Amino acid sequence: MNRKIPLGLVLLAVAPLVASGPRGTVPKPAANRYPSHAEKDSVSVGAALLTSDEVRKTFVSEVNRCCVVVEVALYPSKDKPQPVSLDDFAVRVMGSETAVKPSSAKVVAASIQKSAESQRDVTVSPSVGVGHESGTYVDPVTGARTSRHGTYTEVGVAVGIGEPGSYPGSSERDRDTMQTELSEKGLPEGTTSAPVAGYLYFPLTKKKNTTLQLECVLNGNKVVLTLP
Amino acid sequence: MAARVLLLIILLTSPAMLLCAIPQQASTAIQQDSAASAVSGWSKQAGEQAPAAAKTDDKVQKDAKSLQKIHVRLGTVSFGLGYSYFSGPYYYQYPMFGFYPYGLTHPALFCDPLWCAPASLLGSVYSGSLAYAADKGEVRLTADPKTAEVYIDGAYAGTADHLKTMWLDSGAYDLSVSAMGRKEFHQRIYVLSRKSLKILARLEPEKAPDATGEAEVKP
Repeated sequence: MNRKIPLGLVLLAVAPLVASGPRGTVPKPAANRYPSHAEKDSVSVGAALLTSDEVRKTFVSEVNRCCVVVEVALYPSKDKPQPVSLDDFAVRVMGSETAVKPSSAKVVAASIQKSAESQRDVTVSPSVGVGHESGTYVDPVTGARTSRHGTYTEVGVAVGIGEPGSYPGSSERDRDTMQTELSEKGLPEGTTSAPVAGYLYFPLTKKKNTTLQLECVLNGNKVVLTLP
Repeated sequence: MAARVLLLIILLTSPAMLLCAIPQQASTAIQQDSAASAVSGWSKQAGEQAPAAAKTDDKVQKDAKSLQKIHVRLGTVSFGLGYSYFSGPYYYQYPMFGFYPYGLTHPALFCDPLWCAPASLLGSVYSGSLAYAADKGEVRLTADPKTAEVYIDGAYAGTADHLKTMWLDSGAYDLSVSAMGRKEFHQRIYVLSRKSLKILARLEPEKAPDATGEAEVKP
């Protein structure tokens, strides 16, 4: 009986994460495998800032259009379930006073779709042709049958200009798909006893030669990680 | 003659043109100056009003700039080769493009490599219908082995060699690729309309338990 109670508690703690849908990413074996990591009150946190190329490879949605993506992993202690909420995280440009909270998958998807809606897709289709002709004809002046041959070449370029909204990711259905992707890959919210990891989407543009800091609140304690 | 030389130069320089065009597949934002100046002029007038209105103008200006982005991508590149033979009583000297046999053969039998046989194909390319389906996304699947079975959302779709290119509605799918004696490949894929997604499914061979046992035995 005594064994059943903790098991039930663990199941109750994990249930919100399972039921909510998002799965996040697979956490690395330990927090110190991430470029930035810290530990506070037996809870470890690891974080990594994704480069533009990494974002392009990781997501089908064009998240680079609107956001900076940070992968975050939390490693709670086994006997103490850890609440996970997007509100506990923020990113700050080092030296600035303003911190930015992560956006939800719904907001990010809507932002990307709105941006895609305004794009025009221009397609350039070049074409090259080479041909050879030969044959005989009757010269109308001399009346002699003459053979001639020659080579001709052709070059062409077709340009197609799409209507606004013809760009990938601009339809309502695309927005749903992007929301699904961002939600499924995002950091799962809820309470967990097991390590969890996922992406956070911060609506800001990273400039060159600026350093970002990830701030997170773990059990009321503020932890600051510098993202290289 | 000069026209022919000119055409030959264009032909020779066309590969360079293509090389220039390929990097443009990446998104490039082109801002149209005329529209931007129109917006800035409007915001100049509004700048005389309250500061709050000026802030709104900046926002509108930013929105307007975002509306002016154009993405250039390389479409289908066409090469044509042709040969024609004519035999007729008359010959017509065409000043610009050499000679064309107007008589029995032209225009019914004259075959231009770009506009005769492949004309129907090129027509569809230029209209964009061959390049992209409007409401579907392309999934390019490369699987090893090629005879692996492909399942989408648990439903059998065919073998990998017949599904090198799939057009799917926008959405999230569970893609599974399996073959006898190989580990199953599973991936969650997200398809966006008019977007191409490349997937490489390399199925690793399953280790036979007997073979593993033999390998551990040392003489």
